[in-house]
Amino acid sequence: MNQRTTPLQSIDTLGAMALDAPGGQPSVTPPADATVAAIASQFPANWLVIRNGKASDVAAQLPGLNVALTQDVLSIQVPAQLVHDGIVGLLFIDDTENGAGMSHARVVIELQAGSAVNIIEYHSTIGNAMHHAHCAMELSLAAGARCNFIRFQDRQTQHDQTGSLTATLDMDSQLHHTAFDLGGNVVRNELNIKLAGAGAMTCLYGLFMAGGDQHVENHSRVDHLVGPASSEQEYRGIAAGASRCVWRGVAVVHRGADGTNASQANHNLLLSAAAIIDATPQLEIYADDVKASHGTTFGGLDQNALFYLRTRGLDDAAARRLLIGAHAGKIVARSPLPALQARISEIVAQRVATLIAEEAP
Amino acid sequence: MLEINDLHASVGGSEILRGLSLSVRAGEVHAIMGPNGSGKSTLAQLIAGNDAYTVSRGTVELDGEDLLPLSPEERARRGIFLGFQYPVEIPGVNNAYLLKAALNARRKYAGLSEIDAFEFLKLARDKMAMLNMDPKFLNRGVNEGFSGGEKKRNEILQMAILEPRLAVLDETDSGLDIDALRAVANGVNALRDPDRAIILVTHYQRLLDYIEPDHVHVLSEGRIVRSGDKSLALQLEEKGYDWLREAASA
Repeated sequence: MNQRTTPLQSIDTLGAMALDAPGGQPSVTPPADATVAAIASQFPANWLVIRNGKASDVAAQLPGLNVALTQDVLSIQVPAQLVHDGIVGLLFIDDTENGAGMSHARVVIELQAGSAVNIIEYHSTIGNAMHHAHCAMELSLAAGARCNFIRFQDRQTQHDQTGSLTATLDMDSQLHHTAFDLGGNVVRNELNIKLAGAGAMTCLYGLFMAGGDQHVENHSRVDHLVGPASSEQEYRGIAAGASRCVWRGVAVVHRGADGTNASQANHNLLLSAAAIIDATPQLEIYADDVKASHGTTFGGLDQNALFYLRTRGLDDAAARRLLIGAHAGKIVARSPLPALQARISEIVAQRVATLIAEEAP
Repeated sequence: MLEINDLHASVGGSEILRGLSLSVRAGEVHAIMGPNGSGKSTLAQLIAGNDAYTVSRGTVELDGEDLLPLSPEERARRGIFLGFQYPVEIPGVNNAYLLKAALNARRKYAGLSEIDAFEFLKLARDKMAMLNMDPKFLNRGVNEGFSGGEKKRNEILQMAILEPRLAVLDETDSGLDIDALRAVANGVNALRDPDRAIILVTHYQRLLDYIEPDHVHVLSEGRIVRSGDKSLALQLEEKGYDWLREAASA
């Protein structure tokens, strides 16, 4: 286990600064906006656009849901017992064509009792100037609520992002979350999940892929406040070039949270000698009746597997693509919105190809 | 078809093959036997193009073409197939996907179009039926969680689909129960063809009860010390390898 600490305290400060910054003028991205249209055409969802941290024009886009914008906080409420069968898309797009900047977005999502909703959160940037985007999201799931959630980050490699999702799960509620980080310069994501009701369940999956001098961190923390409840975390990393990635998964099983089931896994593929991934699985257990496990693996590409595939006629690059794609594919296959998997697979495959090209002799 | 002449090869500085020569003609089945460490697997890996081995002397030619500068995939596309002693598990890579990609790589080299999905499925199902393999193996990860016998059948399935010109089967019989051995032998026998050659690398005579070789060679300390017909395998079974070592040193 690598215990190296990461020097990113200052980033949170940056995010806080963005809160106080005057920010750009709120601007409505018209539906015809080329980037928005391009993303919307790839992922079938009802998209709400949050441009440079500001959401606007939120009315009537999400039938059945209550959507409001108050003091730059975007609120989405899923009424009790409503099962929203489409996909709600939150498109965070930062436009840097007018120069460097910062943005800060806040989103509050409330699922009332027995409701269900599917969400994709997509982060993208336009332009090449430097930008730091911060996004803070709060999610609450009342008794029996269910939420399928994908976070997809595909920013330009000169753009920084920090973000957090804080979720509270009441009795018998379920949160199935999968995070994809493909781009960005310095990226730090936090998940804070509180299992506050008996029977609550969460799956937190993630795939991070980094090359060049990207720095990508994922920190997740699950608090088991009561039992029985279960949490499963699996993150997979692929690091090429001189990139640096961090995965830190924490599960805290509080006193009295008996009947807890908590697992953590982190599997990493290092494609170059200069790439670094720091992994810290962390279990803190204060209850008696607990099933908990964690496992972390690191490795390069399996040379035997590579040779095996080549003896079957696949060229070296195709064999590498297949092996790296298989590593990443496990997370795509586990992601909660099957309708989006095919397109996500394609984008992941393209990113795999660029990472391989980066390592080509 | 395959001509190996005075081949010397080493791995990590120690010489494993020390002047091996072997000539295999189309239509023939050759068995290569020999004690542990005699160089059998090295020979198989070297024919397939494993660059862990350094060739210091000698030649390996397929139909007159020098194989040694070719990559493993270039050799595969020319019709060389290695059945692995320890088939590699590749979680997350679908067995059907690999079979199809492998077949298409070979077809592309031969100037043929890619096989269509229906045709491929039919081909795969037919070959699996011949090997008594459950079609569900098509949709599993390559060798992922397969038993030893299932892995070996999967190797033979790949061979049956790829229809190589030269198949080298490295201890395909090891770890097989009698039913799996029969299924594997049926698969190999079904591929016997006047245009194809097969090299069986094996420790035991048992496999040769099911696949009758035209030639049997005994490898010892990196070279072939005795060649004969199938009766040589029976003699070995009876007398052990020491008999040959003694004969060689006498």
